[in-house]
Amino acid sequence: MVTVSIHNLTFTYPQQSRPVLNTVNASFPAGQFSLITGVSGGGKSTLLKLIAGLLPTDATGITFNDQSLTDIPATQRSKTVAMLFQEPSTQFTMDTVANELQFALENQQVPADEIPARLTAALDFIGIAALRDRKLMHLSGGEQQKVALAIIVAMDSAVILLDEPFASIDPATRLVLLQRLAQLSRERGKTVILADHDLSGYTDYVDRLTVLADGHLTHLSPEATQERLATFAPAQLRLQHVTVPDNDQPALLQGTQLSLSANGRTLVTPQDLGLFAHHTTLITGPNGSGKSTLFRSLVKLGHYQGVITYDGTDIHRLKRRPYARQVALMFQSAATQFLNVTVDEELTLSLKNSYADHFTPAMVTQLLTELNLDDRREQIIYTLSSGQQKKLQLLCMLIMAPDVLLLDEPFKGLDYASLQTAIQILKRVQQDLDITYILVSHQLSGLDTFIDYHLQLADQHLTYQGVRA
Amino acid sequence: MNPSLKLALLVLVALEISFTHVWTVNVALIVVSLILMVWGHVAFKRLAMLTLIPAFFGGALVWSLTLRGTASSHFLLVIFTRMVAYVYMGGWFAQTTNPLTLTRSLEQNAKLPSKFAYGFLAAFNLMPKIQAEVATIKAAALMRGQVLHFWSPQLYFKVILAAMNWSDQLAAAMTSHGFVEDAPRTHATEIPLVTRDWIMLVGSLVLVQVGLFIGLP
Repeated sequence: MVTVSIHNLTFTYPQQSRPVLNTVNASFPAGQFSLITGVSGGGKSTLLKLIAGLLPTDATGITFNDQSLTDIPATQRSKTVAMLFQEPSTQFTMDTVANELQFALENQQVPADEIPARLTAALDFIGIAALRDRKLMHLSGGEQQKVALAIIVAMDSAVILLDEPFASIDPATRLVLLQRLAQLSRERGKTVILADHDLSGYTDYVDRLTVLADGHLTHLSPEATQERLATFAPAQLRLQHVTVPDNDQPALLQGTQLSLSANGRTLVTPQDLGLFAHHTTLITGPNGSGKSTLFRSLVKLGHYQGVITYDGTDIHRLKRRPYARQVALMFQSAATQFLNVTVDEELTLSLKNSYADHFTPAMVTQLLTELNLDDRREQIIYTLSSGQQKKLQLLCMLIMAPDVLLLDEPFKGLDYASLQTAIQILKRVQQDLDITYILVSHQLSGLDTFIDYHLQLADQHLTYQGVRA
Repeated sequence: MNPSLKLALLVLVALEISFTHVWTVNVALIVVSLILMVWGHVAFKRLAMLTLIPAFFGGALVWSLTLRGTASSHFLLVIFTRMVAYVYMGGWFAQTTNPLTLTRSLEQNAKLPSKFAYGFLAAFNLMPKIQAEVATIKAAALMRGQVLHFWSPQLYFKVILAAMNWSDQLAAAMTSHGFVEDAPRTHATEIPLVTRDWIMLVGSLVLVQVGLFIGLP
């Protein structure tokens, strides 16, 4: 049982004038599940990394049961605190699940004959015994996060830190992970600290909500916590305005006997699928069910069986370059899409290559202001927070103005205010330029008035949801 | 055979044939490596590649030396067979050794500092991710109206950036998983180093010495 206390902690990144954290005082009691929330880029990740001892600092303001992390022998620190990261795929050293768990236990100098039993117990606790000998690189993001939690369970770390662990995880996996975390805090006395800006679905699991704003931390009372969580109640997440498209409406993108598979696993069984122009279609489905694979197929990046036509022509027969101006994909990982160094250079490139002469530099400045990025024009893209990168990526892709814009998790890492602004801008550009949007998003809050069609991927089949128009 | 000793054998023999001029030993090494690779179920396509590439470059070198140089035919034969022998021995090692077993062996048997062993392994496991990243970067750039060729500096800039980012994340994750540089670790999988491994190493080296001694003019 370990209580984490923070006294007068101030942290400023080198080469930045404003501190990210300003005289923070807080305490995270043992056996409690604490949730930290705050705007994207507000310092949640920084705080967690400081607690985990992953940032070089001379600050001694963080203690574990009145003991500083530096007082604990290096090899024993992972027994005190361990962290689960936002990006699932870059937190492993080894090739398979079992080898990674073994690696972590060997690091803790667990006697060799105890390792197999601890490994099996941890996998069973999370319910992923079947993944034991699978290659980590072949697992979906959700499965990788389950493995990462299993490692922490095996290491028996007293304090478990999680940095936006559900950013691209489907609701089912998220639920499993939340249940396990609640179990770890209640039954095993672990101190769980989770940072997330999306508060939906936490009501039954979280003991206390902590708000990080302007570099300061505020603990909310149990009543205030429940009140704040209630604003994210699932009832508001339902899409009430979606309709099923007319059968006689011509489809812009048409799949015929389309089927998808990845790593030898069938994702979508052969089916006909139409995607319609000048509307906004949302595709939802469990993590790893094939939504991103579908997108990659639509832009000729992935393998598929059957035929996909764009405006009546088989996309196999269309050349890559002209097709890229008709159907473009906003990739899930924002950094992938940037080609330059600063925010301004990136926007200039998009303006130069745009397919429409709709956008002017003045409009771009206006949009930057709306997205709270106007004071960051000279900043290096890679020093922006993930939410800020996502907003910039969205802007760059909108300026390109392709006929069809596929958006893969466009709201990942965005706080609620930014999400609202982003949707406003998307709607406006759609009105002006008649762009077709097809998006994949786990984030459903605030989307109700934006979505026309809802396509659900379940049991290897894509079906339009909602009432018939 | 124990991977560390296998590596040691490979390096020692390669060094030796670099400084001696006995083509029969080179040919013997080629034959032995080939037999070991076939025995180790190396795919035929791989074998063909391992043969064609050194044959092409070796052939080109021999041809140019014949046209321009004053080298004897004996020297040309040695040069050619030496090149093929290097590639075959390297091929045998790479195709029949598991990187994880090698890492564990280097750490346990050869006492290599664990930060090198596991740092290398983490990078190795990222290779498929890097390849996929290159394809993705090209497509993502195309969607912003920019064509990236394999000679475009921007492509390399992006790949290096991605790799640097991953290396930071990997380092943090390794720390979080309890890895401490130069700290002792336990080993649930022991890589055996038995007398038989030593006999094979010494025996192979002796055979090569004998071959070189007999073959010397």
